[in-house]
Amino acid sequence: MKSKATRLASLGGWGGRKSATRLASLGGWGGRKSATRLASVGGWGGRKAVLRRPVFWYAVLCSLALTVSACGGSGGSAGSSGVKDGKALSVLVTTENTSVPAELKALANGKCKTEATALPLDIQQSPSADIQQKIQLLAGQDALPALFAGGNSFIDKGGDLQKNGQVLDLDKALTDLGVNDKITPAAKSTLKQLYSGTTPSLPFQYNIEGIWYNKKIFAEQHIAVPKTWGELLAAADKLKAAGITPFTASGATSWTISRWVGAYLFRSLGTNAMLDVKEHKAKLTDPQYVAAAQAIQDLGNKKYFTDGISGIDYDTANNQFLTGKAAMMYMGSWLLALVNDPGKNKIGDAVGLMPFPAVEGGKGDINAYPANTGAPTSVNPKLFGPKTQAWVKCIATNYASDSMEQSGTFSGFVMDHPVKNLPPLTADVQQRIDKSTSTVLWFEALFNNKANQDAGGYVVKLLTGSMSAADYMGLLQNDLDTAQ
Amino acid sequence: MTVDTVSPPVHTDPPRAPVPRATDRAIAMFAGKGLTRLLIAVLLVVVCYPMFWILATSFKNQNEFLDKPLWKLPATLHGSNYVDAWTNGRLGHNALNSLLVTVPSLAMILVFGAAAGFALEVMVWRGRSTTLLLIVGGIMVPAQIILLPLFTIYFKLGLSNTLWPLIITYVGHGLPLTVFLMATYFRGVPREMFEAATIDGAGIYRMFWSVAVPMVRNGLFTVALLMFFSIWNDLLIALTFNVDKNLQTVQVGLLNFSDEYGSLQYGPLFAAISITVFSTLLVYVFINRQVMRGLTAGSVKG
Amino acid sequence: MESVLGNKKAVAVLLGPALIFFVGVIAVPVVWSFVYSLYTGNVIRGFTFVGAANLTRLWSDPEAHQAFWFTLKYALVVTAGQILLGYALALLYVFVLRRASTLVRTMVFFPVVLPTVSVSLLFSRFFQYAPTDGPINSILKVLGAQHVDFFSAGGTSFIVLVVMDLWRTQGFYAVLLYAGLVEIPDSAIDAARVDGAGGWRLVRHVVVPMSLPVLFSAVIFSFNASLKVFDSVLALTRGGPGSDTTPLNLFMYKTSFLSTDYGYGSTIALLITGVCLVVTLAIFRSSRRDLTKG
Repeated sequence: MKSKATRLASLGGWGGRKSATRLASLGGWGGRKSATRLASVGGWGGRKAVLRRPVFWYAVLCSLALTVSACGGSGGSAGSSGVKDGKALSVLVTTENTSVPAELKALANGKCKTEATALPLDIQQSPSADIQQKIQLLAGQDALPALFAGGNSFIDKGGDLQKNGQVLDLDKALTDLGVNDKITPAAKSTLKQLYSGTTPSLPFQYNIEGIWYNKKIFAEQHIAVPKTWGELLAAADKLKAAGITPFTASGATSWTISRWVGAYLFRSLGTNAMLDVKEHKAKLTDPQYVAAAQAIQDLGNKKYFTDGISGIDYDTANNQFLTGKAAMMYMGSWLLALVNDPGKNKIGDAVGLMPFPAVEGGKGDINAYPANTGAPTSVNPKLFGPKTQAWVKCIATNYASDSMEQSGTFSGFVMDHPVKNLPPLTADVQQRIDKSTSTVLWFEALFNNKANQDAGGYVVKLLTGSMSAADYMGLLQNDLDTAQ
Repeated sequence: MTVDTVSPPVHTDPPRAPVPRATDRAIAMFAGKGLTRLLIAVLLVVVCYPMFWILATSFKNQNEFLDKPLWKLPATLHGSNYVDAWTNGRLGHNALNSLLVTVPSLAMILVFGAAAGFALEVMVWRGRSTTLLLIVGGIMVPAQIILLPLFTIYFKLGLSNTLWPLIITYVGHGLPLTVFLMATYFRGVPREMFEAATIDGAGIYRMFWSVAVPMVRNGLFTVALLMFFSIWNDLLIALTFNVDKNLQTVQVGLLNFSDEYGSLQYGPLFAAISITVFSTLLVYVFINRQVMRGLTAGSVKG
Repeated sequence: MESVLGNKKAVAVLLGPALIFFVGVIAVPVVWSFVYSLYTGNVIRGFTFVGAANLTRLWSDPEAHQAFWFTLKYALVVTAGQILLGYALALLYVFVLRRASTLVRTMVFFPVVLPTVSVSLLFSRFFQYAPTDGPINSILKVLGAQHVDFFSAGGTSFIVLVVMDLWRTQGFYAVLLYAGLVEIPDSAIDAARVDGAGGWRLVRHVVVPMSLPVLFSAVIFSFNASLKVFDSVLALTRGGPGSDTTPLNLFMYKTSFLSTDYGYGSTIALLITGVCLVVTLAIFRSSRRDLTKG
């Protein structure tokens, strides 16, 4: 490929000053020669060579343009029927996802060296803004890589990719490989909730979400960790009165706000709050759902959130919490990477994590943390040949301990040996994950793409009061109703 | 939704009244001088300060960027940002890709565009205005809409994961506007020129090359500039047509500085931007000198 | 003359390559896409024929209406700003700075080169409201005005967007129009001066008419670019808050690739193309007329 490019480059003669001037003469700007030629338009002093050169280049350009489509590169091996390994273990994940590629590379050079020799690892990344589009285009060509980051709605039961048989049923596949017990029960339950009882994604990451709080500020203001929504409001009120910003979030990364709505719903209506909506047993426009949006809007009305939230980006929000400028923040356990980084965390061991408080009279259990299995990563059944199977088996066996040792990230796989010397808060979160018997999802988890976009897109308007709670929920319900 | 018409704020808007007045020599001699200087100073501050800010920011670390006021200069120069930018952003590699895409695309656009503009505007044949209109219609087409079919076409041709899809798409997408602009420029060339050339016995190709093209040199340069930057700064097409890290262009590479939850490494990002921007500036100044010489060769202003 | 300029073979040689590209990259995909607009579905799921259902949906979709009006508003404001600013700068270069304008021209032009991602970061910081005031809000405070949370509302976000795009492109349009002004022969200017035309009148009656062709192509180009605005909105406001600053192009992109509804997406694209076509034809017509007059 590369050699081809350089050959083409030399063929076209680009690069180097010579060609730059040649290009200039080709376009005919700059250079005194053309100016004088302009002056002597009447009399043709043109030598043959001058004339021949442009013609020659014109021909070169034409032939370049035309032959390339005829003698294209190596054709893609698309549409091959049956199951067979690709030339490599091709993995397509988002550019923003740094931990999974790093960990897979570490495995390829370490515990999965044998598998990697048989089938080398080939990681491709595409920015998250674009990955949905890319997956669709590749799927349309039947050219999905062996492992790919699919959108939730594509790989869900009845999703577009499922219908086409382009997503491997991991429950069955891992059982056949004898490693189905390598996925933790918590991750399994989260996956099943998320994908209507199927397992189309490998849980490379596993995180719980809750409200992170500043222990030092709480102690100074004599605030006990709130267990109920009422206590949380009282705490926020007290902080506000003391001139401390109670909550921070990012309007630019708007899921940091919309998750509040979901968490409230799971506490007020119980585990099935969002599933009921998906299965048309309830509507987001029902009063008990609108009440949740209203509760979050009230936080905004009382100015509990940091001022000017719409312009605050993700880093600024985290920074506000980790420098003690805000007392609380809703966030997932991936925040630990920053908490354990002394350069970023200026409040040291004052960071604490509390479960989202209970709503008075609500059905939800305070210990059911919202949990997620990271960016969904599916396996292409058409490329699930013996070598790929060996790879997946190796990943399932070794991923968890390795990723905890390497980067301190939690995954949904079972650790094959315990990791020592964890920072206290990391160990604490690990324990909570291990102990949790049930988890809930998050607000947008079961939404289609459009509702997912709008849930984040409009939530700032909800929080700042320029959109009513009923309108917000109505808009999302409308998105769900017009789903294809 | 009520539409309130918003006028651009004053501070980026150089007051226009004095400009023409300054053309009036008598006033320009006295009052105009100071005013003009002030105007130009304001203009340069508005343009240059943001650029300077980018440069300054590229030496800050994350905390400085998030905690300290924006106009504060970095306490210490964090050169490590540049190392990060070079390695994470794979700048050298990506710049080469960008060049490999931009140069051939630009060459094809200019040559084919000028030739087509000439054939449509200067030459006489039936159906030329219809053809021109059809091609001009291509200007209206939003790039997003052609992506999907093109992706399929390139895939079927086996061109995916090479730089060709980018080049072909840029050329196809840039040509309509180029053809239109070139036709406009050729329209400005007096017909007598071509008549004279015919009498002198010039063939059509020579007429194109030695009469028509030199006459629209400035236009050609303008188009080149326009196309260069639209290709160089394109993100959408470059994003769509390759997933291979080895084929990333500079613009796509700039997306490498964020993580999956939305965090950005500001220092390295701005370092990467600084490198690309200031190297482009150097190239631009160099070319600009050549170009302006060419631009002003025909006119004896000032 | 006729035989030379009517040389069929030469037409084919000169027009051929461009036409092949045009057909392959623009014409075929566009037709292909517009066929999609009669269907619903996406590439994974396949397509089902729905006829004009997408059109009726477009007709009654409030989001589409909002995007349409926003696009028009944006295009008008930005085009007017680009042309006026660019022309003012070009006049400044030609008549005030004359020979000394190279440096200024280069500096003012340069923001065009900056990647969209970086410019949007820059502007979101400059117009920052929280956690600390950015430069613009600081200036407002010094002037005794209220500081503004620019990105919390559609109207103020729109202002930032317009300022950003003008800042980026003014230098480019200045160079574009400058090229037209340089072409004006000195004799014409001097003749007008002898007749006693100075300042405004000189500009209005001599300079503008003589630079019309370039002005027209600049207007067409500017309109087309601003009607199809995409990158800068995506990078600066992501179309928000809500969908207050979502132009048609971004709406189409979201519909096609995020909501995976190609049929409806193509229908929106059809609308964009239609709007561009109408606007351009209008300008094109008037330019043709004006040029033949001259």
